[in-house]
Amino acid sequence: MAKVIRDLADTSSYWAAVWSMCPMPDVHVICDAPIGCFNLVATAVPDYTDSVPHIENITPSVITEQEVGGSGTGEAVKRTYEGLRDEGMLEGKQLIVVSTAESEMIGSDLTDLVKQLQEGTTFFHSESLSDDEHVGRDRVLQWLWENYGAAQADGIEVEAGLVNIIGPTYGCFNAPSDLHEVKRLIEGAGGRVNIVFPYACKLADITDLAKAQVNVIMYQEFGHTLAATLGQPTLHAPFGMRGTTTFLQNLGDLLGTRAQADAFIQHEKKTTLQSVWDLWRGPQSDWFPTTTIGISATRTYVEGLQSYLGDELGMPILFTAPRPGKVGEMNNEAVRQFIHKSPPTLIYGSINERIYMAEAGATRSAFMPAAFPGAMVCRSVGTPFMGYRGTVHLIQEIVNKLYDALFSFLPLDTAYSKPSSGAVQPVKVGDAGNMPWNDDAKEVLDKALDKLPFLARISASRELQMRVEAEAQAKDLDEVTAELATAVLAAQAD
Amino acid sequence: MTIPKSDEMKSKGKPCQLHPQSMCPAFGSLRILTRLEGSHPVMATDTGCLYGLTFVTHFYGARKSLLAAHLGTEELMAGEVVEGTRAAIEVAAKEPGVRLIPVVSLCVAETAGLPEEMLPKKAGDADVVLVRVPAYAIHSHPEAKDVALAALLNRLGDTSVAKKKKTLVLLGEVFPADPLAIDGLLRRMGVEQTITLPGRSIDDIERAASVGAVAPLHPFYKETMQVFRSWDIPVVGGAPVGMSGSYAWLKSIGKLLDLDPKLVNEVAEEERAKAAAILSGNPLEGATVIVSGYEGTELAYARLLVEAGAHVPFVSTSIGSDPLVLPDELWLKQRGTQEVIYRKTLEHDVQALDDYDPDLVIGTTPYCAIAKERGIPAVYFTNQLASRPFFLTGGMGATIGFIKQMLSREDKYQWMHDFFELEVVNNG
Repeated sequence: MAKVIRDLADTSSYWAAVWSMCPMPDVHVICDAPIGCFNLVATAVPDYTDSVPHIENITPSVITEQEVGGSGTGEAVKRTYEGLRDEGMLEGKQLIVVSTAESEMIGSDLTDLVKQLQEGTTFFHSESLSDDEHVGRDRVLQWLWENYGAAQADGIEVEAGLVNIIGPTYGCFNAPSDLHEVKRLIEGAGGRVNIVFPYACKLADITDLAKAQVNVIMYQEFGHTLAATLGQPTLHAPFGMRGTTTFLQNLGDLLGTRAQADAFIQHEKKTTLQSVWDLWRGPQSDWFPTTTIGISATRTYVEGLQSYLGDELGMPILFTAPRPGKVGEMNNEAVRQFIHKSPPTLIYGSINERIYMAEAGATRSAFMPAAFPGAMVCRSVGTPFMGYRGTVHLIQEIVNKLYDALFSFLPLDTAYSKPSSGAVQPVKVGDAGNMPWNDDAKEVLDKALDKLPFLARISASRELQMRVEAEAQAKDLDEVTAELATAVLAAQAD
Repeated sequence: MTIPKSDEMKSKGKPCQLHPQSMCPAFGSLRILTRLEGSHPVMATDTGCLYGLTFVTHFYGARKSLLAAHLGTEELMAGEVVEGTRAAIEVAAKEPGVRLIPVVSLCVAETAGLPEEMLPKKAGDADVVLVRVPAYAIHSHPEAKDVALAALLNRLGDTSVAKKKKTLVLLGEVFPADPLAIDGLLRRMGVEQTITLPGRSIDDIERAASVGAVAPLHPFYKETMQVFRSWDIPVVGGAPVGMSGSYAWLKSIGKLLDLDPKLVNEVAEEERAKAAAILSGNPLEGATVIVSGYEGTELAYARLLVEAGAHVPFVSTSIGSDPLVLPDELWLKQRGTQEVIYRKTLEHDVQALDDYDPDLVIGTTPYCAIAKERGIPAVYFTNQLASRPFFLTGGMGATIGFIKQMLSREDKYQWMHDFFELEVVNNG
């Protein structure tokens, strides 16, 4: 049976190549692409993932019918190169030609052609028809090292205390905040940040990757091949208080700065982490056991959230869907069905999960952006998921969502309600005292309440009850029936 | 900034054309196809393309789950494009409320080959309609809207129903308030019903084959107009844009649909008087505005701004030159527009910044970013203009009001420019 995709979560290795190469300002990419593959990867999508107006150092060969029809893309790439050269846009730049799904489809191999272009021009066959963005990023980082770093790295000495960060690239969710926090942790443990590859470095500097004593890999999804090649000890960027503490201690051990790392941890407990301790000791943590969670994101984020929210704070994790998925794990089809059936209180995910929530009418669940695809500004450095600051940010967002849920159920006098506001209208208080509910009707109400955040249940219970009773009175019924309760509560969910 | 300053390019004559400006053409079709109630598109393409198009569709199109055949090296080598697409069609056929399954065939699938006769015509009760929109052949986003709509009409238009003489199709994706305003005026002239295409209703596509006339509000629906002509449905020229344009348009609809000339005249004159009141005093006089989008409607917008007194020296668009846009081009060139560029590149647009020293730029996102870097007020055409009323006097008032507001914000753009581009800033 042929494979069917529902709402793709991962893009291709062509995107990985562009998004990994173009953050470096001394690179210019010619993408061997039709107009669409250029526009989407360089403007339409990074406008809304990385909040950049457009990626400036990329130019398309603009594949048209002529190239597809038999002439191949060689001439178009050459013409593009000549235009760039004549405009002076390649001065001080390393030119890289990157294949796309369409150029691969018509078998365009430009390995030889690039030798006729600016000296040192290379061709990166992105394997876009077979590899996903994660495999692609891993491969392109290694390829960049082999082509632009390794040769000059012989004889470079490792310098004590220097730490590389491998990843992020464009298109990595929440990268600025997480990167900011990881840098802070490295410095806290006594290290110095060396190269942040490729997000904040020049291609000309990547030889210096060889200087670092330790490599920190931001994401599990890519960077391991390069880290293994570099050969120094490797750590992963951490989540949660437990994970971050271990990370700091390990880094301290590797750098020989364990005492400094331990002192930093102690200092963090009294500063950054004081808010987690306060929220834990306060009434907020009492809601955690009833705050159910679903997570669909990169494996890095899924496992990080699961360990912090689930293992450390004790929230029930109802589903996880790590990307890229493995056999036996939930795909989008399964996530969609899960959300349609019983959406958790908080759903961490991409716009795909948000759409499934909209389809399900899951208005009582809250969507927590945690992955691309989806339009999201993540440029503030104050929204980390990783590190100690991540633990504070995550808990703060969760508690504020619960406050929101409670607020939306508190009674509001109907006289103040303005019909034009578009909000659900407050229910009119009836005048007939308590109405009898038959057992089936009570069960319907209980089931509806089960789906709500625990914190909101007292108010919600009253509110939903009143709505049903108001309808029963309007219909002149003597008691509330299951049928009526079901109808009113279904209308409520919209 | 890697785009060279345009004065460097100017010295060499015509700008080098390196960065064409259009949303991926295929998105035009997806936008239309996902917004139809009961339509569940199936895409035939590679994963990179699928990611990008799904991304923009979920942002700008519809909150709709999208299905696709998995087409990787393995499937393409094994020649399984048809099998994969059929499998995705089967899944789509199980969606609740499905009536239509458009199969959107993109670059890779088109190159591999996806023969129409190998696809089912029906899946369950849903019609399966193939829409071929490879970016390498379609070139621009608006033209893909045309391809998609023509495919739907060809397949679903119900020609068995008798023509209703006094009914009209309004052709073009417009701001929802526009058809309401147009419909209101036309009903006063004796029109019995209007249908807006592309819209949300599949029934409207079926009904479209029995209308009295079709009025393209946008100038790139070439294939769609062919379909209407094949049904012997006449086409109304022009569009209800600006004072002169709206007047002529209302009159020609009156004639074409055989409406009571007295009523038509009354409405047209009234609308003209309202327009004259809005335009009196040339509200945009003294402003130089560059109009440069990729929606295919740029010339019409420029026309309205010129009527309101603005100087619009440069207009550029992603669509190709065509007899349908020629009247607007001629009209503009008689009124001070020096350049109208089709299939434009970013380089054309950047040069215009130096050549014409605009007070306001309405452009694509890369172009607006460059204008803002120079302290020039600039807005993204697609997000800002296409999301406001535009037609008749209502649209005229809204559009001119917006432009005036933008022009009054110059100091903010200047301050931002100074703050980010200069070393020392007067912070006052």
